[in-house]
Amino acid sequence: MEGFSITLDALSVDFDGRFQLRDIDWTIRTGEHWLITGTNGSGKSALAATLAGDGTVESGTLSGLPGRIALVSYERQAELIAAERRKDDADILDVISEGTPVSEIIDATPVDGGSDDEPMDRQLAQELVDTLGLRPLMGRAFRKLSTGETRKVMLIRALASRPQLLVLDEPFDGLDHDSLHWLQGYLQTLSETVPMVLVLNRFDECPDFITDVAYTDDGQLTHRVQRSDEAAFAELSHLLHLQTTDLALPPADTAANLPPLDPAEPLVRLTGATIRYPDNTVFEDLDWTIEPSVHWQVTGPNGSGKTCLLSLITGDHPQCYVNDIRVFGFQRGSGESIWQIKQYIGYVSTALQWEYRVGTSLRNVIISGFFDSIGLYSKSSDQQKAIADEWLALLGMADQPNTPFTELSFGEQRLVLIARAMVKHPPLLILDEPCLGLDDINRQLVLALIERICQASETTVLYVNHREQDRIRGIDNHLALTGDQPS
Amino acid sequence: MANYFNTLPLREQLEQLGKCRFMHLDEFEDGVEALRGKKMVVIGCGAQGLNQGLNLRDSGLDVSYALREAAISEQRQSWKNATENGFTVGTYDELLPTADVVLNLTPDKQHTSVVETIMPMMKKDACLSYSHGFNIVEEGMQIRDDITVIMVAPKCPGSEVRAEYVRGFGVPTLIAVHEDNDPNGEGLALAKAYAVGTGGHKAGVLMSSFIAEVKSDLMGEQTILCGMLQTGSLLCFDKMIEEGVDPAYASKLIQYGWETVTEALKYGGVTNMMDRLSNPAKIRAFELSEELKDIMRPLYNKHQDDIMTGRFSETMMADWANDDVELLGWRADTAETPYEQTEAGDMEISEQEYFDNGILMVAMVKAGVELAFETMTAAGIIADSAYYESLHETPLIANTIARKKLYEMNATISDTAEYGCYLYNHACVPLLADFMKGIKSDVIGKGLDLDDTAVDNARLIEVNEAIRSHPVEAIGAELRGYMADMKRIV
Repeated sequence: MEGFSITLDALSVDFDGRFQLRDIDWTIRTGEHWLITGTNGSGKSALAATLAGDGTVESGTLSGLPGRIALVSYERQAELIAAERRKDDADILDVISEGTPVSEIIDATPVDGGSDDEPMDRQLAQELVDTLGLRPLMGRAFRKLSTGETRKVMLIRALASRPQLLVLDEPFDGLDHDSLHWLQGYLQTLSETVPMVLVLNRFDECPDFITDVAYTDDGQLTHRVQRSDEAAFAELSHLLHLQTTDLALPPADTAANLPPLDPAEPLVRLTGATIRYPDNTVFEDLDWTIEPSVHWQVTGPNGSGKTCLLSLITGDHPQCYVNDIRVFGFQRGSGESIWQIKQYIGYVSTALQWEYRVGTSLRNVIISGFFDSIGLYSKSSDQQKAIADEWLALLGMADQPNTPFTELSFGEQRLVLIARAMVKHPPLLILDEPCLGLDDINRQLVLALIERICQASETTVLYVNHREQDRIRGIDNHLALTGDQPS
Repeated sequence: MANYFNTLPLREQLEQLGKCRFMHLDEFEDGVEALRGKKMVVIGCGAQGLNQGLNLRDSGLDVSYALREAAISEQRQSWKNATENGFTVGTYDELLPTADVVLNLTPDKQHTSVVETIMPMMKKDACLSYSHGFNIVEEGMQIRDDITVIMVAPKCPGSEVRAEYVRGFGVPTLIAVHEDNDPNGEGLALAKAYAVGTGGHKAGVLMSSFIAEVKSDLMGEQTILCGMLQTGSLLCFDKMIEEGVDPAYASKLIQYGWETVTEALKYGGVTNMMDRLSNPAKIRAFELSEELKDIMRPLYNKHQDDIMTGRFSETMMADWANDDVELLGWRADTAETPYEQTEAGDMEISEQEYFDNGILMVAMVKAGVELAFETMTAAGIIADSAYYESLHETPLIANTIARKKLYEMNATISDTAEYGCYLYNHACVPLLADFMKGIKSDVIGKGLDLDDTAVDNARLIEVNEAIRSHPVEAIGAELRGYMADMKRIV
């Protein structure tokens, strides 16, 4: 492999006004094989195509590209098919066009940035035709092939073009089992001589030779993670899983009979709420009503009383007994127990995570959400266990129900605690700074999970955060605590 | 007032001492119903008073705090504790006449004066609750006939009572009804509801009697719990210094060693604690503990006898009447001991090293636990009680020593426990003087220096058999089993 270094420096690229890549900083060095991943529409295909010269550079620089770059992508495939169709349409003669036969398409392989004195490897091309079973199709018109067959043609063209950089956008998509298996093995061998950039939607297809992962989000390259950094790699994998999995939110426990709420009554009503200590007043005279299905975001600087406000609702603040608070139909201080209140609430906070120092399994942590306890002290039903396992599957942790909670990373623990809070489908989910203390990947992970919850359940979400950028789609109401009360 | 226990015939004494039963969860299905809507007034707003009140209120019960007028007008700590937590606070006059249940959570020493003050104010058929039976059993306090007298005693410090409740659990709790004062037969229902209100039913409730609680509690705390650990600390430290061990290391080995070795005790009894030693070390520890038990048995018997006859409480109450001169003097002496004066070093000591270099400490714990258990059961206290008041609580005191050493440990525990602890220590140190002459650093401070850990099979079997067949191990396995059924996850 020749030494090289491809550098994208503050690169912004426009794709016909349809899509922009913004401010990309990226370096690909000798010996590296990259995987580009991200959600649909995040820009991973655009980034791959940029390496092959697609798009219009608006600012920044792209340097160090080798001479021959081969790109296989849906876009290239579609272009080729569209070109064939145009040929047909353009034919003004009164004959039926059969279109270009496959053999010609393969022979006419253009080499991106290549020169005529380094033609394609025809012998290899013919070998690949046999290997991929295209021999019987060589005389057929290219545009009459199936999607999988055209994809194979595209691969042959790319592999036979003596590439110095091979860019493959979802190469495994649409291939039958045998071809897929063959291609994986072939790329593994080829990786010893040819640097590669792969675009894949699914992490579990990531080939062994990949050394680095680039993660795109909203037209930007947001994370670069080395494969050898196992923790970061696992987190990226979780993030992608959560964003792309088809799994639905697991159901509630049908045997649990949570006393029904009066739908006409607000979930929470605070009247003139005040928290006062001898030396300071945290807030006073706050009126706030939370109606069912109306999500709220609460913001405010440190010390403005966000957590105090929540703990009035959850019953964790002792002054809830000297305030006019009505929650879930209970006037506080009228003989109800806090467990009657907590059964309607799912709750996640950093403080809870610090409290949750129990050496129990992930499954038990999630089940403990049915009992609102830290640790599990009650016998759980088979259904509850099954539901907990479904949540673990949603989180991409299906294979570790018995892993001790304390062995997870901080971010993974947070995900499990959110599942614990949601496991009973509570009427009210309270998320107190759920992203606090998390790095960027984990923040996105948590937000992705919360977004799924907001979209897919009857739960009313109360979300506390002081980071403006951590917004969640679907949360439209806003309560701002100023810190210099009264509000 | 006369010692209540001594007024009973022997048959009755034995029956009361033998009361102790682990209650099953299904006995608490009525929850807090027996207390619902009743006005509960707490006297004393220290750690137990405040935290029990927080739990009871969160369980849906009506809780307020009665404080002395001076505590309110001077806004003392007890007033701050109660008001900052949003409780109604009032004087005795304001709150007691309407109280259905009065929770006396003041220190033992104040019980007589508190109860004498509040009793005339309490309404007819009300309930008076204690968390320790000393006032009734040892001081013979007579409670008005119409008043129901119960005891609810969480077996943990107040802060833990609250922390476990918030987690959705509780702490093991002992309840009892004073049978002479149960005019309407509702004492047990009230005590159970109270235990549910503090969360205790989830962690296990022992149904006992005032007498069994007092006589076993006093015995446990002054011998194995506080006394043995104090004496052991002082003797082991002095020996290590004499043997040339680095004082900072010696101090650390003792301060954290008790906690480490008794942690093993908590999980798997004496057997597990001994199993943490190598085979030669285990045999040495066993032999030392047998020797210790022979030497100390008369002392344990004397403590139990003095507790049973009321001689202990008489002596202590005389000191109360004398402004605690003895207690405070002995407390000051503790601060002056070489161990207490030496800061623990910052060297690393691994968990296993505490066992390997603390063979004598393990032997002392084993001897103390077994002797206290044997003495209590021989005196008619049932095995369940004896287990809780000896083995079960030893790790709690060891934890206090790890955090605060001896002086603060003594200041933290009840005055009653502290007074008894000093009596034990004053007798035990000279008693072990000869024994300690034969001790070298191989069993305390440095560990056995062996090239080969081989032991004789027959001897090992014999020692293991002796350890495992002690009666404290059988009851311990059973009671720890109940706890495990409750799925306590720490």
